[in-house]
Amino acid sequence: MTHLLSIEDLSVLIRRPGRDVAALSGVDLHVDAGEVVGLVGESGGGKSMVARAIVALLPGGARTRGAVRFEGADVLAMDEAALATHRGHGAALCFQNPRGALSPTRTVGRQLTDRLTTHQRMDKAAARETARQLFEAVGIRNPARRLDAYPHELSGGMAQRVMISLATGCAPGLLIADEPTTGLDVTLTREILRQFRHAADTDGRGVLLISHDLASIASVCDRVVVLYAGTVVESGPVAKVLREPAHPYTRALLASVPDVSGRPARAIGGAMPLLPSPPAACPFAPRCAHATERCTAQRPPLTGDGWAYACFHPQTGGGAAAPGAPPPPPRGGAGRGGVGGVGADALPRPGGAPACPPPPPGAAPAAPVTAPPPQRTAAGRVVMEIEDAHVVYGSRFGSGGHHALRGVSLEIRAGETVGVVGESGCGKSTLARLMLGLTAPSSGTVRLDGIDLHAQRGRKLRRLRTRARLVFQDPVGSLSPRRTVADAIGEPLRALGVPAAERAERVAQVLARMNLDPAMLRRHPHELSGGQAQRVGIARALVGDPDLIVFDEPTSALDVTVQAQILDVIAELAGDASRGSVFISHDLATVRGFCDRVVVLYLGRIVEQGPVEEVFGNPRHPYTRALLSSAPSLDGGYTGARVELAKDLEEADAATGCPLAARCPFATDECRAEPQHLTPYGAAEAACWRVPQIPALIREGAHTRA
Amino acid sequence: MAEVRVEAGARSFSRVLILTGAAILVVVALAALAAPLLSSWGPEEIDANATLAGPGGAHLLGTDTNGMDVWSRLLYAARLDLGVAVSAVALAVVVGTALGLLAGYLGGWLDDVLMRIVDIFQAFPTFILALAVAALLGNGTVNLVITIAAVNAPAYARLVRAEVRSIRELPFVDASITSGASTVGVLWRHVLPNSLTPVRVIAPLNCGWAMLTLAGLSFLGLGVTVPGAEWGAMISLGSPDVVAGRWWTSVPPGLALLVCVLGFSLLGEGLQERADARRRS
Repeated sequence: MTHLLSIEDLSVLIRRPGRDVAALSGVDLHVDAGEVVGLVGESGGGKSMVARAIVALLPGGARTRGAVRFEGADVLAMDEAALATHRGHGAALCFQNPRGALSPTRTVGRQLTDRLTTHQRMDKAAARETARQLFEAVGIRNPARRLDAYPHELSGGMAQRVMISLATGCAPGLLIADEPTTGLDVTLTREILRQFRHAADTDGRGVLLISHDLASIASVCDRVVVLYAGTVVESGPVAKVLREPAHPYTRALLASVPDVSGRPARAIGGAMPLLPSPPAACPFAPRCAHATERCTAQRPPLTGDGWAYACFHPQTGGGAAAPGAPPPPPRGGAGRGGVGGVGADALPRPGGAPACPPPPPGAAPAAPVTAPPPQRTAAGRVVMEIEDAHVVYGSRFGSGGHHALRGVSLEIRAGETVGVVGESGCGKSTLARLMLGLTAPSSGTVRLDGIDLHAQRGRKLRRLRTRARLVFQDPVGSLSPRRTVADAIGEPLRALGVPAAERAERVAQVLARMNLDPAMLRRHPHELSGGQAQRVGIARALVGDPDLIVFDEPTSALDVTVQAQILDVIAELAGDASRGSVFISHDLATVRGFCDRVVVLYLGRIVEQGPVEEVFGNPRHPYTRALLSSAPSLDGGYTGARVELAKDLEEADAATGCPLAARCPFATDECRAEPQHLTPYGAAEAACWRVPQIPALIREGAHTRA
Repeated sequence: MAEVRVEAGARSFSRVLILTGAAILVVVALAALAAPLLSSWGPEEIDANATLAGPGGAHLLGTDTNGMDVWSRLLYAARLDLGVAVSAVALAVVVGTALGLLAGYLGGWLDDVLMRIVDIFQAFPTFILALAVAALLGNGTVNLVITIAAVNAPAYARLVRAEVRSIRELPFVDASITSGASTVGVLWRHVLPNSLTPVRVIAPLNCGWAMLTLAGLSFLGLGVTVPGAEWGAMISLGSPDVVAGRWWTSVPPGLALLVCVLGFSLLGEGLQERADARRRS
């Protein structure tokens, strides 16, 4: 049987002066029409190199061996003319950064119709009509109007949809998506991935979905291929590879991702090597707990039919996600609970069924709480107190502006960890900046250790600022390029007037606590890996012994196994009773891992808050339910009734009434007219007057659909 | 493979440019310093017996209308020309960078006021402006340095301001503020070192232009005046003689000027190439 795409023993060696990199070493994989294949692994594993090889866009200095056969023809041997047809018609690439890939000075409609008129030889009217249909097919509302929009007028999710329509415009047989959802929040990720499933199911295209995030693509893939250091370590049907992975790396990769059902992440040490030549032994052996002498002496071949793995000591039984998994090692800090593997109905997408299952009929309105509520009493002193804070970012020209926070009140005590979740654009980062004194509230007060942060000036303000610290999303970018690590970590101490000798000592101490080599003190940020840079960032936050640490998406820029290592570090710190922590994330699973309380933000307002087990186990607000429903999961995840939101987030919705009304399936005229206030429901609070009715509404909805 | 070669090529090409430019300037500077050793005549010493004497003999490059030794004046003038150009650009960099740093980082009315002043300065052609300032300040080496610095500083202010405005939005600046650093501390330790890259490239090129400005002013009689030894003044003094076929009074200072400006340009271009190559990789 011939495959749509088959990559046979592909090796790519990149020759750079002084340093060769074996980007791919003997990779075999295939994609059939109508099939979605996931290609997963950490950065540096060779995922993007595979994508580039398929369209013969390899970097300069690349030497290839093996073949990339597309419908029988070897892509690597094609001449320019054949390649031009192959790219676009044969295989089309969707880029990771859609805004960067769209030309900013032409309307998106024009960019699409240009392709249609040149490649498909359509006339202008036909091209515009086809473009409109393509936009509609990827779920763009008002497609005729959007055709005339410029890329900067589109939100991130909308731009990615346009990108997909551009890629599918010339009816390619194969669609390659390189990290299409990185940087998007959970609800959009789900929506975009659904588009790829749709392309495979209805148009019979082959789809190669590249991602570092196993959980999020699990629901749409038929098969997955796991890459490590340029080699395929495991490949097979999604149900096999993700449910009972055989290769220790696949298992480690799966265990590195915390699950929304409460299973925390388990970290493995080390980092992926960049190999100068094709490996002679198992490349994972140095990090593998099961490695024996044989693993370091010869390279295990990829064996098996359909489900194949390259390992001498394949593991059996459920992976990290399955109920049989060993209990995770206990970690510092209280208040996290939950048992792994809740339901057997994990991996909601069987065969060719729609990616999104409807709410299960008769789903229990109040899902069982998977663990007893945390026993920790947050009796510590209040370190951060926000009272009815509004933040408006004024525009420089004229009136108007962006209302980022609309009356948020929040208290954080020493010893507790508060999670803040919500989609992009809900005000999470503004809240962080507010707590750090980087943004002043337009009204309301922010008190740090009981002192009004925004009423202070000069030296007093600077000293107060060192009491609250921020760990940034972009670890390398948050370090000054021309300053050494020692300088960066020591900066808060310098502000406090600590003498140089003591400063050096305390910096060395905190560096040791982060498990970093003292030799790193003299390095500059560009010499650090992402994980190392984030450890430096945490060390800098910790060195002055602050009362509050705010983690603003600290792991979202990191690879999954590194994420797990950093989460370990943070979890250990969060257990410290002497200070409060705030953990901001759009990834609900990581928040559940070690937060005591959760605050759900929507368009600048708190729509639900309460103890973490209460909010996750028994969500009240439709928005919280929707976030939980969208959270990717390998364990079956959220078992309560699923709620789907209509449309993407739009800021204009925040103007009157309940901000969610335009997207909420339960909205009434009253919701649209009346602003909602936080009301206690059990141990939590939610800003929705329909909370008591929702279980019944969900049951009805399920009945009508059934 | 091709791409790799281009990158390596660009790097070695920029090296050649930088080394050539630097070598030229070092030779000129050494000659200027060693002027008393290389010439037996003083720069303003008059040989009454030999006015407009041709090259050779007692005077290596002949003498001018006043009977002053051209070779000796050429060497001593290098001290003045290089000195004024480099110190004027240094002053312009310091003043311009400081203003740009403040305007870009603090913004608000200060930014508006400073940038409007910069606009006014830049609305005039540089040389016309230099003429006006020189006329206002009068002669003298220090005044020349100030004049040339004043016409060049606005460009640095604008350049640095643009850099600072993008740098102040980067996370490491927020990190420093939340570390309790003072505004001066943030500017000095983080913003300034990261905003100097374009200045490093422009400044050497600017030295060449500064030298031309100085020579131009002197040529027009607003800079150094005879008997002061300066290349522009020497060209000016000798220009009537060139027409009469006595080329040695004007051509040597002209060539010296050309070589120096070329040296600065090569150095600047080389630094530019290297910065570009670094940005690409």
